[in-house]
Amino acid sequence: MIYAAPVTEVTIFGLSSGAVFALLALGLVLIYRTTGVLNFAHWAIGLMAVVTYAMMTAIGVPPQLAALLGLAMGVASGVLAYRLVFKRVGRGRQVIVILIAIGLAQFYSSVAQFALGFEQFTRLEPWLPTGDVDVGGVAIRASEIATAVSAIGIAFGFLVWFKLSRTGRALRAVAQNREAAMLAGIDDVKYSSIAWGIGSALAALALLLVLPHSAGTQGGIITTFDLTPFGTLLIPAFGAALVGGLVHLPMALVGGFVFGLARELLILAPKPWSDLRASVAAILILFLLLLRTERFFATRQELEALE
Amino acid sequence: MNVDVAIETKGDSPQITETFDTPPATRARGRRPTRSQLLGLASLAIISLVPVPFGDFGYFIGQYATIYAILGLSVVVVTGYAGLISLMPYSFAGIGAMATGAAMASWGWPFWLALPFAAAATVPFALFVGITSVRLKGLYLAIATLTISNALGETFFTWAPVTGGDSGHLVGRPVVGPIDFGSDLAFYLLCLGAVFVLLFMVEGLRTSRMGRAMLAVRDNELEAQALGINVAKTKLVAFVLSGMIAGLGGAFLAQLLISVTPNAFQSPFAEATSLLLVTLVAIGGMDRAIGAFVGAIALVVQQQVFNGFEFFFAFVGIYAAVVLIAFLLFRPGGLVQVGKILAALVRTRPALGISIIAIILVTNIGGAWLILSLS
Repeated sequence: MIYAAPVTEVTIFGLSSGAVFALLALGLVLIYRTTGVLNFAHWAIGLMAVVTYAMMTAIGVPPQLAALLGLAMGVASGVLAYRLVFKRVGRGRQVIVILIAIGLAQFYSSVAQFALGFEQFTRLEPWLPTGDVDVGGVAIRASEIATAVSAIGIAFGFLVWFKLSRTGRALRAVAQNREAAMLAGIDDVKYSSIAWGIGSALAALALLLVLPHSAGTQGGIITTFDLTPFGTLLIPAFGAALVGGLVHLPMALVGGFVFGLARELLILAPKPWSDLRASVAAILILFLLLLRTERFFATRQELEALE
Repeated sequence: MNVDVAIETKGDSPQITETFDTPPATRARGRRPTRSQLLGLASLAIISLVPVPFGDFGYFIGQYATIYAILGLSVVVVTGYAGLISLMPYSFAGIGAMATGAAMASWGWPFWLALPFAAAATVPFALFVGITSVRLKGLYLAIATLTISNALGETFFTWAPVTGGDSGHLVGRPVVGPIDFGSDLAFYLLCLGAVFVLLFMVEGLRTSRMGRAMLAVRDNELEAQALGINVAKTKLVAFVLSGMIAGLGGAFLAQLLISVTPNAFQSPFAEATSLLLVTLVAIGGMDRAIGAFVGAIALVVQQQVFNGFEFFFAFVGIYAAVVLIAFLLFRPGGLVQVGKILAALVRTRPALGISIIAIILVTNIGGAWLILSLS
């Protein structure tokens, strides 16, 4: 950045990107805990929502409605992925599961490239307000604030729902002990589909919040970088999920903000430290991996069931 | 609804190998080659000649396919043999390519010295990843390698003394003593020679003591340990060997591209190409060396042929992903396994087997020809 970024602005940027990481991470954790699949196709499934959104707005559908349709497409992509593919893979064949998830990521990102037609850039209309808002004397994009607020709201709403609702309880039961849950009459396939649907919805929401607003008042621009299987944000999202050991939802939410704020607040750091900005996510992730965070949040038995 | 099924699968030991071959315990050294081995050699020779009638375009695609087969062999060693998921084979290739670039363009080394240097340059990185892999299993290792690949793009591949800045290095085609590999045919033959040597080495590794230790670690780490295999050492060796093979492939890649720029090995191209490598090996057949060769031909040839036609290029991406998922679900042994099934069919019911093979060949070659002539 060429101008000195004031603390308020950087913090809000950090919060909004952190909220997006948190949404992606919550989806990753939910799917991993319930079905044992680390969803490498998370970004690509979200892309399906954005592609639908782009195509709908191009034919004149109002952006807010298009965003809803995009969300539905994201959910459908995720549920289809589970029903058609992951349901058929036996647990315990982890290498195969990972490779299939990678294949799925390639599938969805190729479909996205195909649908958007190989432009270097694709413009997206915004669906959130894009004007500037005055926060403590600093002009900040309304879409950043809206992203931060709505992502935080959705994340907390999801956590409360997961804690209190009947479906949430069933999902937790499946995650803790699949066999016991099935013996208690919980339909494994149904609840796994629900987990994939909600997880994909969270991914779709995250991408719909980021990509259509990436270029401020002009809306958003999708580049060829965004259309790759892992996009640009999946690695920090993995990091955020790792803060909760890939299994703990509230800690994944915290992790999202850790990664978002770490990345943005480093802009303020003095010169040699601010260069770390590009690799701070990688350093944090390797540290978390070697710490083996999963052992703090799940019992040995639960982890063995996931492997 | 399917409670009993789930409990049944739970009882199985977590192995991925039921559908893979297990290698013979005794080595085939000293015996005369069997008929199927001779048949395999003959078909390899015929496949190598395919680019010849297509001239320079054919050689270019041939060079690409052989180099990607070398890079695929590095995936075979680490993922196919040792069962360690690595999502960074292309980063190792990048290290090899940059080492070649720095050695040949900046320091004026000859090609035959730059080649082992490229392999050696990957060793410290491979050791680092290998040490991580001793502590991390399965998907945690996948995340780690993905992250390291990303981080290398931000650090190593932005380091100007190594990468030659944004414009990269200008590497000429190799000249070894009196032989000039400048022409496309000569360079294709060089790549082909390299891939065959490595193919036999990697296939030989499979039946060697170390290779069988890797397979044992892949199948069941605890059992391997109980058998007295040093699991940590085996994983380290797998990563170092894989890194060295990828480094060699990178050296050839640098020669192919003539100018190597660092941004090809940065995010997101590094991850995307690494995924492509893992995909092509999984399609070809993960646990056999020949799988990398078959997979590279199947995927790279399609991709390069259709490179100019965006519509078909994206279609290849979708098609490859669908084929990959289908193979992993139903035939984890990949094309190699399918080939074996077909060979068995030819033996028992020759008419049916040969006609199926003919249909596959005609639809594939005819389809490609049709698309090319229509566009």
